[in-house]
Amino acid sequence: MTGWRLAGPDLTRWLEDLLRAGTRVIAPVEEDGRRVFKAVDAAARVCLLPGKTRWSPKEFVFPKTEALFSYVVQAGGVRLHAASVDPTEQVLFGVRPCDAAGLARLDATFLGGETDPLYARRRELTTVVSLVCAEAEPECFCTAVGGSPAGEDGSDLQLLPLDGGWLVRPLTPKGERLAAPLSGWAANASDEEWEQARASVRRVEESIRHSAVAQEWAALLESSFDSPVWEALGRRCLGCSICTYVCPSCSCFDVNDSGTVECGERCRSWDSCTFALFTRQASGHNPRPTQASRYRQRVLHKFAYFPQQHEGRFMCVGCGRCVKMCPVGMDVQEAVRMAVAASRGSGDAER
Amino acid sequence: MPSVDGERNPFQPNLVRIASAHDETPDVQTLQLEFLDPEAARQFRWEPGQFAEYSVFGVGESVLTVANSPTRAQHVECTLRAIGKVTRAIGALSVGQVLGLRGPYGNCFPVAQWRERNLVFVGGGIGMAALRAPLQFVLDKRADYGEILVLNGARSVADLVYKDEMNEWQAVDGVRVVRTVDPGGEAEGWDGEVGLIPSIFERLGLAPDGRVVIVCGPPVMLHYMFLALEKMGFTPDQVVTTLESKMKCGLGLCGRCNIGRSFVCREGPVYTWAQVRSLPEDS
Amino acid sequence: MPEHGDAAVVAPPAVGTDEWQPVIAAVICHWCTYAGADMAGTTRRVYPATVRPLRVPCTGRIDPLLIVKAFERGADGVLVSGCHPGDCHYVQGNMVARRRFIALRALMEFVGLDPRRLHFAWVSASEGVKWSQVVAEATAAVREAGSFQGWGTSGEPRRPAVRLPEVPAPPRGAPRIEDQQAVAAHLQRLAATLLDEGQVSAVVGYTAGSLDGQMVPAFVERSEDASTLAWSDRCVNNLAVYLPAASRQPGKVALVVKKCDAKAVVSLLQEAQVERERVVLIGVSCPGVTDTNGTLALKCYACDGEVPSVCDWTVTPAGAQPGAHPSGAARAVTDDPRDALVTFLASLPPADRWAYWQAQFAECLRCYGCRAVCPLCYCSVCVAEQNRPQWVPTTIDAKGNLTWNIARAMHLAGRCGGCDECARVCPADVRLDLLNHRVAMEIEQRFGYRSGEDPSAAPPLATFRPDDPQEFIR
Repeated sequence: MTGWRLAGPDLTRWLEDLLRAGTRVIAPVEEDGRRVFKAVDAAARVCLLPGKTRWSPKEFVFPKTEALFSYVVQAGGVRLHAASVDPTEQVLFGVRPCDAAGLARLDATFLGGETDPLYARRRELTTVVSLVCAEAEPECFCTAVGGSPAGEDGSDLQLLPLDGGWLVRPLTPKGERLAAPLSGWAANASDEEWEQARASVRRVEESIRHSAVAQEWAALLESSFDSPVWEALGRRCLGCSICTYVCPSCSCFDVNDSGTVECGERCRSWDSCTFALFTRQASGHNPRPTQASRYRQRVLHKFAYFPQQHEGRFMCVGCGRCVKMCPVGMDVQEAVRMAVAASRGSGDAER
Repeated sequence: MPSVDGERNPFQPNLVRIASAHDETPDVQTLQLEFLDPEAARQFRWEPGQFAEYSVFGVGESVLTVANSPTRAQHVECTLRAIGKVTRAIGALSVGQVLGLRGPYGNCFPVAQWRERNLVFVGGGIGMAALRAPLQFVLDKRADYGEILVLNGARSVADLVYKDEMNEWQAVDGVRVVRTVDPGGEAEGWDGEVGLIPSIFERLGLAPDGRVVIVCGPPVMLHYMFLALEKMGFTPDQVVTTLESKMKCGLGLCGRCNIGRSFVCREGPVYTWAQVRSLPEDS
Repeated sequence: MPEHGDAAVVAPPAVGTDEWQPVIAAVICHWCTYAGADMAGTTRRVYPATVRPLRVPCTGRIDPLLIVKAFERGADGVLVSGCHPGDCHYVQGNMVARRRFIALRALMEFVGLDPRRLHFAWVSASEGVKWSQVVAEATAAVREAGSFQGWGTSGEPRRPAVRLPEVPAPPRGAPRIEDQQAVAAHLQRLAATLLDEGQVSAVVGYTAGSLDGQMVPAFVERSEDASTLAWSDRCVNNLAVYLPAASRQPGKVALVVKKCDAKAVVSLLQEAQVERERVVLIGVSCPGVTDTNGTLALKCYACDGEVPSVCDWTVTPAGAQPGAHPSGAARAVTDDPRDALVTFLASLPPADRWAYWQAQFAECLRCYGCRAVCPLCYCSVCVAEQNRPQWVPTTIDAKGNLTWNIARAMHLAGRCGGCDECARVCPADVRLDLLNHRVAMEIEQRFGYRSGEDPSAAPPLATFRPDDPQEFIR
């Protein structure tokens, strides 16, 4: 492994250099007891303590609301103006590996078949510096879905905490570019230091008590479709979208016009399959008319349908935010296990 | 070209003008649209079954099938019922006014596989609009296809669409048009059938015989049609439909039309009955 | 991007001058004020041409959202006017409106809207002179307040950050585990009995969640499953949220309720969303609920935790008895800390308060978690889901969020029982509890009404008194 060893003040210096160079640095900050990603104007604001932010940093590549284009309608005709993305380079600094894995899922969604140019442009301008976890939180289960507290998926550069300082490890050319100034003044990390960091990661992995969600379960989940277990789960779900909006990999959106018939913008905004009207057709027919059917869709999309579209990768990255923030404590892992058990119990592997 | 910093912006529509409009029923219209930009017109190439996103600026966008065959490409046509916010706004526009149009999206009817086979088009209500493009296509290449039966139904006589065109189609050699209205929907002088489409279909007593049945209509009609087809011995590969799922971006990005491993806007909206059966039931 | 203002409310340039003219939306009733405005014209009264009339049949028809939308769409000020009380063409529309105005005015002032921007008046059909004076006064006030750029922005930059004061919790100490386990055991036995005897077909209570100490809603339909029911000071959910749907299932439903939850049940009864005979209310003597850090919820400081009189059962560590009974537990209570926090915010200059709430609403994700957990948000189609017209903007930004949060606070006016579930679940920690509490305080001060106490009471905004206060109405 190659990389550098930074003490606390070294990190500060590196961040301050980045800020001075005009890079937008977006990092976790503590605000009124809430940790969220914000653009910072000083390194001192950055919080790299254990723990996750309230919601993932996906809004910096996939904004809550963004204009697709603007229009002006006049007697002489209609003029459309393309959307443009702020060309400032941005660094998402201190991203947990689960959140970085979430970005990789968003890449699969938005850069797959049809490329979304707005997302692509923002993503291109973004360098992800992930922060390897020194501690797991009670709700974490990244290891159960193929992730890790030191996962590299979606990350350009890793920060590994070590003895009050950091090891810095580039993973991609973008990461190397960002860390290039360090080779001028930072110390190289030694083999012992890498081994210590790896040992720390192993300890964190072991502390995560959740057992694995098996890849083969996708088919069993699909065959649980008609199981009453979904009715039981759906009864508790209240149909908000907290799980969807805090999730690192959820990306459903709505498209609406904002403004008047004379001028305005066509925008897209975050949306959720948990909402009652999500699939309602103009005729009034709704293929998912119950909360049970909507909750089932969310779980199956995460653990069965997305994997089928993307070489078996789970869409869920195991950050656990949905479990912690859900008003009624819906546990997506529990749902998966119940559905798989129901599928097996019925002995019905096929629909 | 609509772009985001030089990259093509797939969300930005082309501009089209309403060249003419025809009222099919009190709340259903067919519009003939022409592109403002001849280059855009040249690039808009579609296959029967594909859809497009039609929009009124300041109101929103709606997914509608492209209702005419590419063999009649003078205009891009759409047939719409004014039922929601956007379709009402489109319905309120006049000839000469401008809409947004982007597409074509989705897959298409496998018309090449229908060659030399007898075809049955079964359209219920506004579902008939989804069948007009493939029907016009096969009529324009008449020699390539076998016998054609069109079964079209609606709640009442007033709700029947394409009234004049049905007569034109009936006049083509080897084409039979059967129209029906729901019991209670007859008007004075009605000489067509009275009954729900699945029961009229059964009454026709067609043998499966390699026929292709292309069916589109409300969910309850589809449900009973599939039962009737099964009863009559049609296999799931002989039956094709187009799903009217709620769609938004049309690009496979927004997630709304996700059913199982499929996005209706990408792998659909045209599916065989066999494919529909393999999808989860929330479709 | 070209600037998009709103064509509907953009001020035309004043004749002969480049001076800025305020744009004032006037929401006025057809029978009195509109006619009065007409008379002002026909009698050649001279007064500023700043008003854009929105004619409604009656002030009683004025949805607070009309006023909110006017500001959202670019109005610098809003003037609301109708018939004098007693003269309403529809007899009492303006009386009902008057109460609604009181709630809206309190809310808008609390959010920090400059009071110079919102005016109310009674102007009759014959009061052309008064109309011209009212408009002149409103125009002068709005002109002084200036062009309103602040709706849905973060307001003036670099306002000092507002720090809400700490309010010390009453000295209660952690509840005893034995007590909690005893309550759980009594609940389990009671639930099993009710189910076995066929008195109810479902019991809605709490059970352990996945995370340590977490409690989540549970639905028990078989007496064998009654042993899954649990109780602790982490039983935060207001289970009344499940009541409207549960009461549509066959059979009766038993609901485990704390004192705060029962208030929501009372409101649901007042609004005929559930039949009393279909529900068995199992009241639990509650020591107060805490979060994962053991911090007592603000709503619990002033609450004695006793089972309210509407309940059919009282469960305490000592046992379960039919009816509502005092528990004998002595709990330290303080004044409601939300009063102090509201008072603190209300004491700030309006501009600081406005900046505070703008910053709060800018963080709102529009997850509608607040709506989902609220037992009183039971509309089958929420106003935010309507698109003809699109009342609540779909964009997740400060502007759309402001409209949403004001709309919901107004929809809860006179109804909210202060369970604070909305604030608890909000991922962005928006102080919805204080927003709702301010309105509840106004309702109590003005009408002597507290929500969730009397199932037979008329909801305060659905009724009126001829002598309701109207000192703010010109």
